[in-house]
Amino acid sequence: MLPAAVALIPFGLVCGVDAAAVGASPLASIGLSAIVFSGAAQILATQLYAAGAPLAVIVLTCFVIGLRLAMYSAAMAPHLGTFPARWRYLSAFLLTDQAFAATISRFETSADKDRALSHFLGGGIVLWSGWQLMTMAGYFLGNVIPASWSLEFAVPLCFIALLGPLLRERPAIAAAVAAAVAVVLLAGLPMRLNIVVAGIIGIAVGTLAELALERKTAAQEQFR
Amino acid sequence: MSEDAIKLWAIIVSVGAANLLVRLSFIALLANKTMPQLLTRALRYVAVAMITALVLPMVLTTTAAPAVMAFWPNAKLIAALIALVVAFFTRSTCWTLVAGMGALWLLQAATSV
Repeated sequence: MLPAAVALIPFGLVCGVDAAAVGASPLASIGLSAIVFSGAAQILATQLYAAGAPLAVIVLTCFVIGLRLAMYSAAMAPHLGTFPARWRYLSAFLLTDQAFAATISRFETSADKDRALSHFLGGGIVLWSGWQLMTMAGYFLGNVIPASWSLEFAVPLCFIALLGPLLRERPAIAAAVAAAVAVVLLAGLPMRLNIVVAGIIGIAVGTLAELALERKTAAQEQFR
Repeated sequence: MSEDAIKLWAIIVSVGAANLLVRLSFIALLANKTMPQLLTRALRYVAVAMITALVLPMVLTTTAAPAVMAFWPNAKLIAALIALVVAFFTRSTCWTLVAGMGALWLLQAATSV
């Protein structure tokens, strides 16, 4: 979970700076990061608010960009079935890109689901608290880190750190390549729909590649 | 409260509620059901496909407004590819960050001279 915590330092600062820039009150800035708890949605919401977009448009746009969370929710669901509802609901609230990316492989590979869940919840609470501190720091201190350091680049780098080790098998590589091509080709879609659509395309291509690979090895076995 | 402040709170509460519903969706609905095999297979690719789709625009998009995608010359893209290779071989977040930030700073220093 440490990489996730590192990623949220620059991201949280940016969100706080953003909230201050559009004239949100301190309380509204805290409410925004405590309730929404999603950097992408917070930045989108504040920027659309500053642009004077109507409420419905803002909510819809943030909903669409949040749809990727539904896929994380689906990937987590089979591992949470044995836990009491209150833990499931708490994990849903704490579900973020970083927490999901950092723990899903634990859920998939470890037989000890209790440990995986405590890792997720413990890490999630740390992330949530750290997020509040970082957005507050950004709000009150403004841009504390010089822009020339390009520290915001740490956000994609932390995702890349999680992505690299996943690219060991061919279907996974196919999924990543398909998602990469799709997200660029579909960049013109409104409301940043390209991200969710490209994700779905990548998932479909990965699954099909796995099925194709399986069929091929099964055919080879038959010849022996 | 001013009208703007009320609107901002309305945004906070409704975006927060919408996000929570999305997060809850499958965890609340599917937790105790057995899923079809094809679906459980597909779910294994959620992380790799979504992270790719999320990261690439961050790397390609310039910070200037209006944001456009830039492939070349793009110091962030080169640094990200170096970081990806490091992440693949080391599996270490620390080294990935060091390599990626280091590469970006070097490239920025080299191009600004």
